Amino acid sequence: MNVLSCSINTLIKEGLYEISGVEVGQHFYWQIGGFQVHAQVLITSWVVIAILLGSAVLAIRNPQTIPTDGQNFFEFVLEFIRDVSKTQIGEEYGPWVPFIGTLFLFIFVSNWSGALLPWKIIQLPQGELAAPTNDINTTVALALLTSVAYFYAGLSKKGLGYFSKYIQPTPILLPINILEDFTKPLSLSFRLFGNILADELVVVVLVSLVPLVVPIPVMFLGLFTSGIQALIFATLAAAYIGESMEGHH
Amino acid sequence: MAANSIMASSKPLISLSSNQQPNRVQIPKFAKLPQIPKSLTSSTDLRSKALSLSSATAKSLALIAAFAPPSMAEAMEKAQLFDFNLTLPIIVVEFLFLMFALDKVYYSPLGNFMDQRDASIKEKLASVKDTSTEVKELDEQAAAVMRAARAEIAAALNKMKKETQVEVEEKLAEGRKKVEEELKEALASLESQKEETIKALDSQIAALSEDIVKKVLPS
Repeated sequence: MNVLSCSINTLIKEGLYEISGVEVGQHFYWQIGGFQVHAQVLITSWVVIAILLGSAVLAIRNPQTIPTDGQNFFEFVLEFIRDVSKTQIGEEYGPWVPFIGTLFLFIFVSNWSGALLPWKIIQLPQGELAAPTNDINTTVALALLTSVAYFYAGLSKKGLGYFSKYIQPTPILLPINILEDFTKPLSLSFRLFGNILADELVVVVLVSLVPLVVPIPVMFLGLFTSGIQALIFATLAAAYIGESMEGHH
Repeated sequence: MAANSIMASSKPLISLSSNQQPNRVQIPKFAKLPQIPKSLTSSTDLRSKALSLSSATAKSLALIAAFAPPSMAEAMEKAQLFDFNLTLPIIVVEFLFLMFALDKVYYSPLGNFMDQRDASIKEKLASVKDTSTEVKELDEQAAAVMRAARAEIAAALNKMKKETQVEVEEKLAEGRKKVEEELKEALASLESQKEETIKALDSQIAALSEDIVKKVLPS
């Protein structure tokens, strides 16, 4: 116990904390017309968007019948997205491919950018650059878009008859069915936010304690979790859309 | 969230060490991380209190809290995990922009391209199946042609056989006729020779009989 306290004491005195500072919930603010924005989220999201659009344009500017490397990869990704959409939404998945695909790609590239891109090279006056998905604004924005999307899907498919699903098995379940519309975006956004933030925190804390080797497995676990979270978000969004589109028997 | 829980676990310790710390419990939206005491006046006192706790992690947490530099405390004061502001609608707009842009450069063009390729491959496969019937037809045609050719050849052979037979028979008949004619001629010549010799014999008979008579009859 004395050894532990001593080591922590020296660690903190030598300023290791300041080298690998755990900065949670600190933001680099910009003022836009009297409103505050989290600049670090916007900057990283622009980078993510640039990566996505740039690589897509580069790989698919001249599609070949027999695909080469980049095109092959993008075709694989598109097939994957179509597969996810089709299994969740059904035969009418076509119009929803852009939404589901962009959800998946944006979240996936965001998460991995947080783990793989050396954001720390760029110093901000306050806060730090990290995955856009470790900010609650981003995840709530995506979750709300998902809510809007499945309401739109249901209403455009069935008109006002869509609301009959609230009393569907029995009117007693009406409160629970209404509650579901709030828990869906809540769980979507908090799941993503919590996973990514926790992942980055665990890596940072481990790096600050043991700078070598030990954090590497956790980093790989983080990459895995990031991918899974992106897939879960996209799959659940597709499932919600499919659920609101399917007919009641 | 994780940070919240980490800090939450150290809450009782902090309140134990300094009573002036207000325990802020608010709605998550505006929840701020609890302030860590800046004044470390009673650090020895705190350490003894902390050591009295049994759990090792609690001790280390208390130590971290005790020796945390003031800058951390100031930063923590401003830290906001659930800080909603204009970032949210901006991200919505960015996402929608990304969705339409990716649809323009990625999903639609590549999707259409892949669908067209699938369709063309299917078409080619179907056409290959069609040619298999065509091949059958061609096969039958070839067999028919072969049969016709064989029939023709057989007919020609028969014809030739017949012709040669007729020719051979003709020649045979001719030969026979010739032979018969020659035979007749030979026979006729023999007959005439016979008659001649008989005539000659007849003329000689008178002389011979005269000679015989002269010789036999004594004169």
